[in-house]
Amino acid sequence: MSTSGGSSGSERDLRLDFFRGIALFSIFIDHLAWNSLLAQFTLQALGFSDAAEVFIGISGYTAGMVYGRAIERQGLLMAAMRMYHRVWQLYVAHVFLFMQFMATTAYLVDTFNNAIYAEELRAADFLKEPGVAVIKALTLQFQPAFMDILPLYIVLLALLPLVLIGFRLWPAGVLAASFSLWAAAQLNKSIALPAYPGPDHVWFFNPFCWQALFFLGAWCGWRGVRGGIPWLTNRWLVWLAAASALAGLLIRSSWTLHWLYDPFPALFGDALWPLLSKTNLAALRFANVLVLALLVARLIPAQAAFLAGRVARPCIMCGRHSLHVFCLGILLATIGRLVIDEFFGGVLLQCVVSAAGIAIMIGTAALMDWFNAGQRPSGPQVLRASATDGRV
Amino acid sequence: MSMMGRFLHQTIGLMTAVGIGLLALPGSAPAQEQDCAVPASFYDTEPTLPKTAAAIANRQPVSIVAVGGASTLGRAAGSPDLAWPARLAAALTSRFPAARVTVDNRAVARQTAQEMAARLDREVIPLKPTLVIWETGTTDAVQGTDLDEFRQAVQAGIDRLRASEVEVVLMDAQFSRQTHAVINFERYESVLREVTDANAVPLFRRHDIMRHWAERGVFDLITVDRDKLPLVASRLYDCIGRAVADFITRGAHPETGAPGASSGSHP
Repeated sequence: MSTSGGSSGSERDLRLDFFRGIALFSIFIDHLAWNSLLAQFTLQALGFSDAAEVFIGISGYTAGMVYGRAIERQGLLMAAMRMYHRVWQLYVAHVFLFMQFMATTAYLVDTFNNAIYAEELRAADFLKEPGVAVIKALTLQFQPAFMDILPLYIVLLALLPLVLIGFRLWPAGVLAASFSLWAAAQLNKSIALPAYPGPDHVWFFNPFCWQALFFLGAWCGWRGVRGGIPWLTNRWLVWLAAASALAGLLIRSSWTLHWLYDPFPALFGDALWPLLSKTNLAALRFANVLVLALLVARLIPAQAAFLAGRVARPCIMCGRHSLHVFCLGILLATIGRLVIDEFFGGVLLQCVVSAAGIAIMIGTAALMDWFNAGQRPSGPQVLRASATDGRV
Repeated sequence: MSMMGRFLHQTIGLMTAVGIGLLALPGSAPAQEQDCAVPASFYDTEPTLPKTAAAIANRQPVSIVAVGGASTLGRAAGSPDLAWPARLAAALTSRFPAARVTVDNRAVARQTAQEMAARLDREVIPLKPTLVIWETGTTDAVQGTDLDEFRQAVQAGIDRLRASEVEVVLMDAQFSRQTHAVINFERYESVLREVTDANAVPLFRRHDIMRHWAERGVFDLITVDRDKLPLVASRLYDCIGRAVADFITRGAHPETGAPGASSGSHP
């Protein structure tokens, strides 16, 4: 996530922050109202993958780049300490989100007891045994509402030191193992982590599958520090990626049109769904996000002018403070849902709440930028220097 | 906590009301008794049930089985006689006096789609029903069943019923206010919509219909007064029963009145 220390502003690839910012906005809008009109036009509109793949992919890439570099400059031990420090921050954020979930539940206690649907909600085990829910949340097994992506990230980052060592020793072997594990989990659905409440419940984001995306991203980031990956610029590969991205876009758009206007056919809707499991990062989702990443890397240069412009700036700021903005987004989505529910919100209210939430996310990121700049001993000079070096 | 909760509740309400400037505060609309008509648009795009509709119109015996959870069992109203399957039977009988309709309520509280699908062979298909109305998805959403497993379970149930030449209608979860902040109903709603769409199975959109009523103040789904709950629930189930009657008899030619208690504003 944030690349503190070891890397100066000029080395920062603004594309990563930019697209991570877009992913954060998408996650917020998707969480706010899953089936809403607005959610049809977030990152999921581009194809089979959605903001989760973009977020995990970029996070893997950034982690591979930053910590790969840290291993070279500061040694393995220090780099590993930094990774586990980050894991700790993620864990604390997860616990914070759990607290806000329990607070929301407590706030809704009347609903859970007195509503017409109270009987049905009683199936929620955590209401019967909140103490157990606390323990299961601390052990990452309880992942209600929106608490499913941080546990995945925590587990993946905790494994990254070993994987980075593997990249130094035998990268092909590590990648092959990672991909094989993904493939095995596609075929055998019992390769999953148990979750609370059991016995059939598993992690929403299956780490045995999602690791493949994260570590492939990490490998690209790690290679990027060492002169890049030459064959990725192969013309035929880029054309192939463009063609499949276009096919994905067309098919996905037909689903959106079908959703908006029933008689419009949803192309291949029945045939493709087995390849679209989000839990298992199924083949089409995986392929789609890789294809999009390849195209973005190829078509948008790191020094693209728009990244320095006014439009991109809010996204970049949010992407830079991704953990804080992510948690804030979850909090805002929860509050936003209460507001929308309260007023049976239609499209208008959804748009207002979405806009307000995104404005708060951007405002907070801007405030953090300003605060961080002030914290540095020679703040103003450093800021000015990086503004000229790093942002073209 | 409760005072704090109420304060937060009011603050959120007030802020939004001021922000939007258009909306009435919740609870200000008086409940209008029995005004639970459903606009035709809720039924428009669904496939119909030719066998069931023809059997009702031709006065042949029609056996309907309801499979579902607590809300089909009618727990909140207090008795199965007040649940929507019983109200559906009453509505069909009053609308088609000559028809021979039975509605069997085979609901079991708190079952996932998979558990319900597993019951079909044992408890439902032996009854040789004309139509099965399958209400599902709530327990899966509350417990967070794997989405693919949920989809496969629903698909397996549909396949099983169709293989036995039973017509099938799916019914989605109840509309529940204030719960979306902690439970992800929407993912399961989407899956139900996709599966029914792909199989050309009619989906009774209970969620949207209840929401429509709640929006218009027909029902206060979150009564603060516990004693009033059964009364509200029985009214709600009666309205659901009648709406289902409208829904499944589209295409039938009734002796009394048109199917669809709606204002016929459809062009």
